[in-house]
Amino acid sequence: MSAATAAPPAPPLPTAVHLADLDLLRRELMDPAARARLRKFGFDVDGLARLEAVRSRTAAALEPRWLALYERLQMRYGRAVAAVRSRVCLGCFVTLPTTARAPLGGETHLSVCESCGRIHYWG
Amino acid sequence: MPPTLTAAPSLIDLSLYIPELRTRKKDTALAELVGRAHATGAVRDAGLLLELLRVRERVGSTALGKGVAVPHARSVTVLRPQLVVARALQGIDWAADDHAPVTLILLALSPAEWSEEAHHAFLGRAVGAARLQKNRHRLMAAASFDALASVLRELSA
Repeated sequence: MSAATAAPPAPPLPTAVHLADLDLLRRELMDPAARARLRKFGFDVDGLARLEAVRSRTAAALEPRWLALYERLQMRYGRAVAAVRSRVCLGCFVTLPTTARAPLGGETHLSVCESCGRIHYWG
Repeated sequence: MPPTLTAAPSLIDLSLYIPELRTRKKDTALAELVGRAHATGAVRDAGLLLELLRVRERVGSTALGKGVAVPHARSVTVLRPQLVVARALQGIDWAADDHAPVTLILLALSPAEWSEEAHHAFLGRAVGAARLQKNRHRLMAAASFDALASVLRELSA
């Protein structure tokens, strides 16, 4: 009898990026001044509980080691994921070494900035 | 200082205008708008952005009433601030408070590096452009992209 093989873990980067986007939205909706502005524009911003539920599910989808890294960076910088544009980390604005390469996709690890430690998202 | 619609002409881009959405469903409309932004290079990962916009709609509808919706997102996947404008002549149910079907959609996208204030300033201009009845009529009646772009530039001046 063969044992069922476990599905390989999902690549962590898309989950971390989605979590970062959700946290941006969450911070916006928890800020009274921002909520007031959005209400003034005419938007409905009363479903914060639904956002919290999605955030919890997304965080649970990250492997514990990556979630711990994400939360640590989020705590330290307020933004754990930084885009990379033209070889510059948009978290710390340091130009990356020429050896740094955009991931090919499907990686099972996260690449972090050698300077600030934020998770890199190559755009 | 956040860019204005007039100060940054790239925000009003011919390729980011959909004269008539074929769908009558909100989710499909969002997918079409995001797909358009992705196709022009403003967005890196259309799937992640679409998921974020869906979550935003679950938090609360982005319909403003009177047939206008301004879905919006600030995201790591957005490469540059962008406005995607679409008309849905048949109307789309967007869960608006006034139950009016949405016929004019302005998707406002900001990169995550933008501050909340800058994102809201951009969003406010998009909302302001579509809030007044006469402006909405002008936007809906624009016969071409050039006409629509000139209305948006005029409104945001």
